[in-house]
Amino acid sequence: MSGTATGWTGKRVLRKEDGKFLSGQGGYVDDLSFPGMLHAAVYRSPYPHARIISVDTSETEKIPGVQAVITGQDAVHHTMKSLIPVPVKLGYGCLAIDRVRYVGEPVAAVAAIDRYVAEDAIERIRGEYELLEAIVDPEKAVEPGAPALYEEMKSNVIWSDSFTFGEVDQAFEKAGRTLKKRFHIQRYASTPLETFGCIAQFDAGSESYSFWSNDQRPGLTAGLLADALGVSQAKIRLIVPDVGGGFGNKRRAPYLLMAALLAKKAGKPVKWIEDRRENLMALMHACNGVLEVEVAFDTDGTVQALIVRDLADEGNNLANPTVHSLLKMGNLTNCYKIPAVRFEARAVLTNKCPSGANRGIGKPFMCFAIERMMDLIARELDLDPAEIRFRNFIPPEEFPYRIPSGTVFDSGDYPETLRRSLDQMDYERLRKIQEEARARGRYVGIGIAVAVEPSSSNLSSYILTTGRRLASGMGEAALVRIEADGSIRVAVGDAGSGQGYETTVAQIVADELGVHPDTVHVASWFDSCTTPWLYASGNYSNKFSGTNTAAIIGAAEKVRTKLLDLAAHLMGADPQDLSVEEGIVHERREGTSSMPLAEIARIAYRDLLMLPKGMEAGLEARHYHVNPQADLPDSEQRVRTQLFASNSVHMVMVEVDPGTAKVNILKYGMVHDCGTEINPMIVEGLAHGATVHGIGAALYEEFIYDENGQFLTANFMDYLKPTTMESPHIEVDSLETPSPFTSLGAKGAGEGGAIPAPAAIANAVEDALSPLGIEVTALPLTPGHIWQIMGPDLSR
Amino acid sequence: MIHRREIRLKINGAEVGGTVEPRRTLADFLRENLGLTGTHLGCEHGVCGACTVLIDGATARSCLTFAVQVDGCEVSTVEGLARDGEWHPLQQAFHENHALQCGFCTPGMLMSASELIKRNPDPDESDVREALAGNLCMCTGYINIVRAVLAGARMTREGADESGETRSS
Repeated sequence: MSGTATGWTGKRVLRKEDGKFLSGQGGYVDDLSFPGMLHAAVYRSPYPHARIISVDTSETEKIPGVQAVITGQDAVHHTMKSLIPVPVKLGYGCLAIDRVRYVGEPVAAVAAIDRYVAEDAIERIRGEYELLEAIVDPEKAVEPGAPALYEEMKSNVIWSDSFTFGEVDQAFEKAGRTLKKRFHIQRYASTPLETFGCIAQFDAGSESYSFWSNDQRPGLTAGLLADALGVSQAKIRLIVPDVGGGFGNKRRAPYLLMAALLAKKAGKPVKWIEDRRENLMALMHACNGVLEVEVAFDTDGTVQALIVRDLADEGNNLANPTVHSLLKMGNLTNCYKIPAVRFEARAVLTNKCPSGANRGIGKPFMCFAIERMMDLIARELDLDPAEIRFRNFIPPEEFPYRIPSGTVFDSGDYPETLRRSLDQMDYERLRKIQEEARARGRYVGIGIAVAVEPSSSNLSSYILTTGRRLASGMGEAALVRIEADGSIRVAVGDAGSGQGYETTVAQIVADELGVHPDTVHVASWFDSCTTPWLYASGNYSNKFSGTNTAAIIGAAEKVRTKLLDLAAHLMGADPQDLSVEEGIVHERREGTSSMPLAEIARIAYRDLLMLPKGMEAGLEARHYHVNPQADLPDSEQRVRTQLFASNSVHMVMVEVDPGTAKVNILKYGMVHDCGTEINPMIVEGLAHGATVHGIGAALYEEFIYDENGQFLTANFMDYLKPTTMESPHIEVDSLETPSPFTSLGAKGAGEGGAIPAPAAIANAVEDALSPLGIEVTALPLTPGHIWQIMGPDLSR
Repeated sequence: MIHRREIRLKINGAEVGGTVEPRRTLADFLRENLGLTGTHLGCEHGVCGACTVLIDGATARSCLTFAVQVDGCEVSTVEGLARDGEWHPLQQAFHENHALQCGFCTPGMLMSASELIKRNPDPDESDVREALAGNLCMCTGYINIVRAVLAGARMTREGADESGETRSS
């Protein structure tokens, strides 16, 4: 950090973006409209698996107001490249061509004068199908002879591999004890309140396309669209306006392609806004799956080796079907020092909605499985659940610590985090309360889960699963410009989706440039024509703290250097002797000259002949940051899948009602450490929200398919989100162990709560029901599920 | 051809008229016909509460209400909360308590909360949680929203004490 820092970083600065949202003036994609704009609706497959015989759209043409209709045949030459390592080329488009592979798959689309007419039209589309057997259960989908989703593939397994790090077999032979369990997780999603959507516009004169979309990966999407539309990338303009929550879900470029094809055909801008039913059944689901975990441990509870067999149900995900397994691999050992690990992974396709990115990607399940195992080991050895964790933590003095698969955990104090949690919740007192409750026949339990929260994905890790180098590393881009009046404008390739970047970025830049954050205006929109960006640009992988900050600071430093060079010239001083404080450039020596930043900026843009010879005009800089922590896979397949590691402990006390099998949360606390907190108010808000996502996944949320592949949970009455009535008060406490590798010492903060919450609740529920001797191995813990695992014991 | 109907109503105090298809929802009428895009659509099946407005002072789902149903009514939306450039105490309290992240649920939350504090100027936490149970927020975990509504109610009470009258909304 520069010497001019005035300490805005670390303060609970109230958010600059609040005003527009509180007054209803946010600019979300559905709030935008253009002259002549049409509205699209999508005709979707009612079947999980079928051959398309025909799609008859002739009736739609009779409806006044319908202006364009497209089917898979219109989109057949517009495919997106798949990143998957199968020998045959499997592209994916925006509309099904010859087969449908999940309920809700887009088959045809209509653009009409309004959404009402567009929906009238799709009701007139007649699809004729030959039904095929649907593959729903991932464990059946991998069996030899199972019907294949893609005839080009010999099996539904789209990727499988095995990775061994360390002496796993020897450790299992030598270990005093071993334990093996299988765990299941359901499909769920964080379901941002604003659904996905876009507007596409085609300019026939220049053959270029403009898009407005709440897409979270604009850096990737722009290129995918150029390829699929057969135009150069320079002819794609992609704007991301205010985004009403993302959590990874809003990354479906095919819908932008669909809107573009309609816009081109109709000759008018086309808006498509997903409705909630479409969102729940067809946007994306967090991957369901099975984890088989084997541990070898000593009689004192020290874990010596770990084998994890991962079966990830990717549904019809052709975009990135290895992402869930890959990110689990970087998180296998959680907070523990486990010297030898083996990871056997299989990603399988089924007739379900494509799996995709959801807050924590794969890590909530990995944490659930490992934290369940730790409790089971503790029970075998008659140890307290806190004690088994203390015995296995990576010691604080061993950071930076390289886990067996190659990821480096930068900093942390895991034992201290747990000690704080025990204090926060007054653990011993909770145990006494539990004992008393139990004596009165109540099913009260306490669950502890610890978690690593990795951040900033390293795109090189895909080389492991694809064998191809399509991208590597991690980076982000930013622009900082001091305007002619001294105000400051910033734009970042990741414009956020609710994380408060207009505030935190302003805090960072204010410190770098010696100004007040009120003078720093941060663009809330991404625009591929004006915002600097890279392939990696976007709002994902928890990368703000570890990657975006470096891009922002890099640009601010360049501007500051130029500002001081120009000021030195104007003031006849040495740039080394100058500093900026509160918007004024001073010579450090007392009684010397000073110059307001606004005056220098005015000269930089207007009074060009005042500039020293050879100096560029203006005070603007862009910085395209390459994260120095990223690496390539080594000869032993070790790679840093993610680059920084925050950590947390969640502790929860629950009661299971024996009459209804419902779980009630009595007390919830978390202690987390994401290094330096740039804005502790915002960090705490993210921790609350992420934790409630985890609580939803643990207790309420489940996308259900019947055995035929029909989707049963297409609205918020069948798919239950936590409301104010289910969401507990959450006590949040934090440590700050700065990262030695990031610009401000900050580490990821957005996903954390979602990762350990399901594990903590599962551990608490099993503890509550321990008098009945049951094991919790699957989520979610809905009353129905608990009733099933309890059997007739419950009513006793 | 679907026939259209004339409607006249008051929105945030102003007389408004329009010609709409009977099937047009109030939410679409507000957003598309009148450009009042502060009222959001989160589920369009009456669960999430993002589209909450007040019809004659009572909360309603504008996604499940047809525009023709409010002919002759008085509708309040988030755009009408601030008065004379000054935030409603609830807006101020949401800001001060960091009760919003992406902001998409915020208008509906504010409308539900404004109804609550008018009906019950001194709510406790469980009153607030119950009043907001029909408004989903996917970002905040509700903790700061509940805090903000309690603070907004307190600010409203204090404001009323100072001015010696109850704020009309």
